[in-house]
Amino acid sequence: MDKINGRALFIILVAGTAFFAVPCAWAASGEPRPKGRAAMPELHGFAEFAHGLKLSDDNTKRDDFNLLEQRLQLKTKYLFEGNGLLARKNSSLNFKGDFTVDEYFSGKTDFELREFNLSTTPYDWFDLKAGRQILTWGTGDYLFVNDLFPKDYVSFFIGRDDEYLKKPSDALKVSFYPSLANVDFVVSKFEPNTMPEGDRVSFFDSFQGGIAGRNSDRDLLEPPLQPSHLEYALRTYRNLRSHELAFYYFRGLDKNPAGYNDEVARRLFYPRLDVYGTSLRGPAFGGIGNIEFGYYNSREDPDGDNRLIANSIFKVLTGYEKDLGNDFKIGLQYLYEQTVDYDNYSANLLPADFVFDESRHLLTQRITKLYKNQTIAVSLFNFYSPSSKDGYVRPTISYNISDQWKAALGANLPWGEDDLTEFGQMKRNKNVYVRFKYSF
Amino acid sequence: MKMIKLLGMVFIGLCVIQPMSFAQDSPKPEEIIAKSRLAFYYAADDMKVKILMELVDKDGRKRIRELTMLRKDDQNGGQPSFAEASKGRQKYFIYFHQPADVKDMTFMVYKYPDKDADRWLFIPAIDLVKRIAANDKFSSFVGSDFTYEDVSGRNPDEDAHTFLRKDQLDGRDCFVVESTPKQVSEYAKRISWIDITNFLPLKEEFYDKQNELYRQFEAGEIQVIDGIPTITKRVVKNLKSGHWTEVSFAEIKYNLGIEDDIFSERYLRRPPVQWIK
Repeated sequence: MDKINGRALFIILVAGTAFFAVPCAWAASGEPRPKGRAAMPELHGFAEFAHGLKLSDDNTKRDDFNLLEQRLQLKTKYLFEGNGLLARKNSSLNFKGDFTVDEYFSGKTDFELREFNLSTTPYDWFDLKAGRQILTWGTGDYLFVNDLFPKDYVSFFIGRDDEYLKKPSDALKVSFYPSLANVDFVVSKFEPNTMPEGDRVSFFDSFQGGIAGRNSDRDLLEPPLQPSHLEYALRTYRNLRSHELAFYYFRGLDKNPAGYNDEVARRLFYPRLDVYGTSLRGPAFGGIGNIEFGYYNSREDPDGDNRLIANSIFKVLTGYEKDLGNDFKIGLQYLYEQTVDYDNYSANLLPADFVFDESRHLLTQRITKLYKNQTIAVSLFNFYSPSSKDGYVRPTISYNISDQWKAALGANLPWGEDDLTEFGQMKRNKNVYVRFKYSF
Repeated sequence: MKMIKLLGMVFIGLCVIQPMSFAQDSPKPEEIIAKSRLAFYYAADDMKVKILMELVDKDGRKRIRELTMLRKDDQNGGQPSFAEASKGRQKYFIYFHQPADVKDMTFMVYKYPDKDADRWLFIPAIDLVKRIAANDKFSSFVGSDFTYEDVSGRNPDEDAHTFLRKDQLDGRDCFVVESTPKQVSEYAKRISWIDITNFLPLKEEFYDKQNELYRQFEAGEIQVIDGIPTITKRVVKNLKSGHWTEVSFAEIKYNLGIEDDIFSERYLRRPPVQWIK
């Protein structure tokens, strides 16, 4: 076993100390508490064992499995009480962190701080959440158009719980509630998506000319933390009777390394990106329908003629979900992506460059059926792109053995004719996994 | 709406004073059902309750659902009759305390008289507000034997009602009413025992197409809270699977003046501490 990660230990200590010290300090400085001791915050969470066996060979670190880990998640919430300012403003401190032992990396221990934030309501019309937090908006199911918050696709492809598709952001979120529409505004530190890098999950590496594992030696250049690299995300939304209308704006960086910084050094970077979008969701045809548009403006390649930086893209996502009765639901989605200025892109390619398609059609379907008083859930999620000739099948069966114990069995089956499409490049990462979870 | 409710209470009051008036001419079944809905689902203008559900399978294995429910009736309706009031608009807000894997989840429903309800679920682990398709009213609520319709009420107009008889149940005088769905439904026939004095449903039997009893509701305990007779314990049994659910209401409070904006995405994402703790 490796030595415990020093940085993780440090974060635990800092977070833990801050978590318990801040309320105490506040209590000491503020008005006396009501009679009796304040209740200790409740501690909840889960312990989980997960094992994913690999079904296909590639050049990653291990051939027999790509998921084998134990995880302990702890979460707690401290509600400010008494007559102090924070208590009067309905404030709370929220903490959630995961301790992991990852057998994939020979038992490496780690700590991931998923949430550690202060949530407060300074005025009736104004909420604020500051610190590490999970952020989500938009209308898609596993597909994101206007949600530019960071995601962890490695977790997604190896069979961790859906919770881990979302990565935390270090952010300040303010929300306003004027009568016309609600407004959320987020300022956050740049955090890239976690994408395959070849050690655990193989992927298409253009420098290697194909699907790469440990032979991948790309260098991902993260921007230094400075004001010009902060990201801004805005959502304004309101209900129109039973429908929800929203507008979105994002100004920041691409979450994926979509630009070549230095081809010889095999260095990629995260180009500047603006996204404008809108969505509508609500009842339609006896179910729930949604439609969402997004225009991705690649600011460092405005005319699309720079072959080293991804072009601007227009995306439209539409979906429909229906409850067919007897705990049986279906969901369908269609995503269309159109590269803007494709002629400029193709005109500037060099002969040895890989050529990506101008547009992509992606269909998804989710079928969920519950049995035995909803203790057994059988689900099939399917991605299929007729234009890329690839797809990704995600069957799962989960069983709530009791209120505490849950077992899940599932598979991740990406496939594709070509090696450079979104799912085709993942085709050597097929796995079947089990997870056992004890919640408390 | 308030006026209708007030009239409703006066009406119920008159029934208590003069129960004999019903003995003479048999009451209209539609009116009984409408008043029963009013007493059961529309008591007061708003309500807060802590609900404990025990889900028990045929082998006696127990699961727990603990939640706080807020309910508010639409005050702008101005409905003209009991029948209208008994299917009026309502908003529900639910916060889950237990079990651990659903703790802090919130659920919100806007119920309408003439169209499918709007339902939203908030999953805090991924900060996701999900819209839930709500066209199946007979889906189980959180795995219990209660359907969504049991939780928020069925529009009385969806059934044809027939007055069967008067009966006694545990010493209480009841009207017995048979209801048959006008359109295809989960049940083919429902028989309700409705308390003559307070119009609360004391028992309901659900029959399938083969005319077999498959599901049964029973009120276990009634308390008068803030002057309002309230069922505080109820059981639904699924007679085919042997699974049953007992629901206990605690910390019931009526007419709290819950603000309308509590029932919004803002509070779905950020549960209102003052109401749920």
